[in-house]
Amino acid sequence: MKRHSLVEWSIAHPRAVLWLVLLVTAAFMTQLPRMRTDTNPKNMLPPTSDVRVWNDAVDQTFALYEDMIVVGISHPRSVLNPATLARVRDITAAILGIGGVAARDVTSFTTIDNVTAEDGGLRVAPLLTKIPQTQAELAALRKTLMDSPLFIDRIVSRDERTTAIYVPLERGANGKEVADAIRAVVAGQSGEERYYVAGDPVARDTFGAEMFKLMGIFSPIAGMIMLAAIYFMFRNPALAGAMMLVSMVAIVWTMGLGIGLGFPIHIMSSMAPVFLMAIATDSIHIFNEFYFRYHERRDKRAAILDTMAAVSRPVRYTALATAAGFAVLLFMSIVPVRVFGGLIVFGTLALRLFSFTLIPAILTFLREDKLGSASAREDERPDPTAAALARLGGWGANAPVATVLGGLVLVAVAGLGMTRIVVNNNMVEWFRADSEVRIADRTINQALGGTSLGYLVVATGQPEAVKQPRTLRYIEGLQRHVETLPVVGKTLSVVDYVKRINRVLHDDDPKFDAVPDSAGTVAQYLFLFAMSAKPSDLDNVVDYPFQTANVWVQLKTWDAAAMKDVIEAAQAYQGDHPQQADIKPAGIAYFNLVWNNEVLWDMLKGFILALAVVFAILVANFRSVKWALVGYIPLLFTILLIYGVVGFAGKDFDMPISVLSCLALGMAVDFSIHFISRLKQRLAETGTDAASDPAALKEALVWTAARPGKGILRNALLFAAAFSVMLFAPLTPYMAVGAFIVAMMLLAALFTLLYLPALIVLLRGWLFKPGEKP
Amino acid sequence: MKPVLRSVVLLLVLAVRAPVHAADPSGAEIVKRSLDAFYYAGSDMRARVTMKLINPQGQVRSRDMTMLRLNTGTSGDQRYYIYFHAPADVKGTAFLVWKYPAKEDDRWIYVPALKLVKRIAADDKRSSFVGSDFTYEDVSGRDLEDETHTLLRSEDLAGRPVYVVESKPKAAEYARRISWIDRERWLPLKEEYQDARGATMRVFTADKVEQADKHWTVTARTMKNLQSGHRTEVVFQEIAYDMGLRPDVFTERYLRDAPAQWVR
Repeated sequence: MKRHSLVEWSIAHPRAVLWLVLLVTAAFMTQLPRMRTDTNPKNMLPPTSDVRVWNDAVDQTFALYEDMIVVGISHPRSVLNPATLARVRDITAAILGIGGVAARDVTSFTTIDNVTAEDGGLRVAPLLTKIPQTQAELAALRKTLMDSPLFIDRIVSRDERTTAIYVPLERGANGKEVADAIRAVVAGQSGEERYYVAGDPVARDTFGAEMFKLMGIFSPIAGMIMLAAIYFMFRNPALAGAMMLVSMVAIVWTMGLGIGLGFPIHIMSSMAPVFLMAIATDSIHIFNEFYFRYHERRDKRAAILDTMAAVSRPVRYTALATAAGFAVLLFMSIVPVRVFGGLIVFGTLALRLFSFTLIPAILTFLREDKLGSASAREDERPDPTAAALARLGGWGANAPVATVLGGLVLVAVAGLGMTRIVVNNNMVEWFRADSEVRIADRTINQALGGTSLGYLVVATGQPEAVKQPRTLRYIEGLQRHVETLPVVGKTLSVVDYVKRINRVLHDDDPKFDAVPDSAGTVAQYLFLFAMSAKPSDLDNVVDYPFQTANVWVQLKTWDAAAMKDVIEAAQAYQGDHPQQADIKPAGIAYFNLVWNNEVLWDMLKGFILALAVVFAILVANFRSVKWALVGYIPLLFTILLIYGVVGFAGKDFDMPISVLSCLALGMAVDFSIHFISRLKQRLAETGTDAASDPAALKEALVWTAARPGKGILRNALLFAAAFSVMLFAPLTPYMAVGAFIVAMMLLAALFTLLYLPALIVLLRGWLFKPGEKP
Repeated sequence: MKPVLRSVVLLLVLAVRAPVHAADPSGAEIVKRSLDAFYYAGSDMRARVTMKLINPQGQVRSRDMTMLRLNTGTSGDQRYYIYFHAPADVKGTAFLVWKYPAKEDDRWIYVPALKLVKRIAADDKRSSFVGSDFTYEDVSGRDLEDETHTLLRSEDLAGRPVYVVESKPKAAEYARRISWIDRERWLPLKEEYQDARGATMRVFTADKVEQADKHWTVTARTMKNLQSGHRTEVVFQEIAYDMGLRPDVFTERYLRDAPAQWVR
């Protein structure tokens, strides 16, 4: 009874408890100003992870940039007119002056190298050194653009209505800041053109910025709604305040600990406050029971002790189950996932401690006269909510076969939906369809090769091998093969330069738009090209010893799955053309694929582990595998149904959804624990022999559905109400989280209150031994 | 620091970093003499040049070439002939530049694999010279009038007395160039190219200065691109001046068929 004495001590010394909590909270609060944020999802994987080390090596070998912003400029008829071209020139010049931009490798009409045959000679120069004014000059430019695979779909669309400026960023530059600076530049332009700023760094850093704004706005709003809902339920402002106080203190402790330990706040741990607020609502069971007890006993101290005696076991085990659900994240490979799991575990344990100290202490401060009037309504018979819940529980208990079958049918349908689930992650689609980021991305992807960039690194293993015509033809074949994929908008390699030079040196004869037959010729072409073009042109596509080539693959979508298609196509090509060259993927699109998979599978692994751990806790709590199995069913059905809907709705199974699975588990299990624990208590209190007296069992089930069931419903509603705010968020993951949680809480409550009674009645012979008094 | 002490220190600093005296030549005069010494020494010149292109990973691409230069007339016109001995697969590639100070250069290249001479239209003197960190301008010189020059100070650089001159171009990829010019030999010993934000983009250093036939010559030099981490090292050997090169060496005929007397 050590725990009980903790409660007794707390109600004997409520002031001491308050002061102690205040002191510890103040200590944690001192850590908050040291908060650092990290919005870069790249840091989900440590810099030492294979994919980051490899990508860094590729970036260095080919003098590439990690991040690139794409600025689309479109004109209703054609961008090939003097005014638009002059604007492109001016905008390019302005972009070169923006901090964080790798100015030397910005690609646009005025900076891209152009190799042309001119008056029997050869010209290597930026495409646009002066703005064409006459129709003849414009026609010449049009011909140059449309003739060259180096330009078409890259810096000009086939319908010539769109052009692009590619803006690589220096390492560590903030994509949103650069994008904002670019937007400021284009905002100053007059004319018919429309401007679009897109690319991974824009989406990523805009998302990061929005995320923190949202957490700043959303968390307080969710808190306010919960406060209002609690007040509405209990009509006691002190009590509502007390519950909020408990969750706020837990949030301060948790965030204080995380910051104090030196972890930056990243995407996942920024969700911790909302999760903790949700977990804190479990203490509503204490308040719920207290109000019933106080109504019965009219003695505050006795009511507190009775309440704690009744709910301490479920509260302890629900906290344990929630903590365990998140504790499995500690064993995952991704550091921010581990940090997130650890913080939530700590917060949950703190909340559990408060349940036995802070909450009883606060209850002693409640004024009895206010309590009397408030709890007077807490009587199950005249209360319409309790009556409805009793009917719900009675329905399940009285028609168990129909209920169980109905549930099974639903789950079977959900199973069908789950087969349609697509695992995917697309950061751009984390923005709403009408958002600037997404419109920009869509527009540029429709007109040009694509805003997402991946690489296929073709390693021959032998110096000078890339100059061999055989190798070049192999690379060319790879390009053509990969280009057959609908997601691939454009590819670029050293072959394109070689073919271009071959043609230009032969007076622009299209017959020579091919790889020449000797390695010496190729070497001299590349030498000639390197003599005049920007060094990066060649460096970007072939390494220094001419041993490894780099094929640029522009993708029309940020779907992680798109790069998967590319990799599979490349492997198939390699299989069909066995040669001494190894093809390996790289680039930001590849990183997104790896990151997406790692996080996703980590979360999924964690979820499955959590399922096992939660089951073990249920077994420990009920001291029975049978009861644990029964208690597991509402939880399992809820999750299956939601995933079924995810499958049917065509919603990608992405990172936010996978994170939620753990929360779903941690929360839904609470309902089962509360329901079954309280049912068994009731059966013991009333001395019911459940196996042989079905009527008494049904009565106990109805009572459980009505009374602790009201706590469950309150918990679910509170949760759902708070998270419904997220449905109005501008970022789709938050909308998904909102919808998911609202659905989950209501479904879990429904399954617990309706399905559990049905199952227990049906399985009573199996669950209860005859004559056994639980 | 006390005010008095601070003034003393300030005076000492000023004394060491000799201020600009009225007797000093103007920035433009210094740069003019430097251009003459660096790009126009002698009436003609020959050198065997090795160029190493070194990327940030330390990987190296080497070029081995013979360079011939002839000054023609007095207006600053020059002709350059460059023959590549290595890398082996480009051996025989030859390059001809007719340089005019006031207008775009004429350039031709010979591609041995095609036995073809092609004129190369060039309208950007600031593009990379054969893939190196030097631009064509760096190799063949810029026009005095392209920039406005200001003498900043005189000081010592690695034991040599130098003028420090600031040059601001009318139009270029850099916003400011600071040159450390030898006060006696007039060769640039160091140059920094800065962008509009004041960040140094490229640094030139004269690593070795030797006298060849009575002309002081930079025989080893490095251009480092601080932004990309790439650098180029150039060494001049077998330097000869005033050999009496004939103008017909600098024509298409010799582009196809290297003049054996000079290219070995």
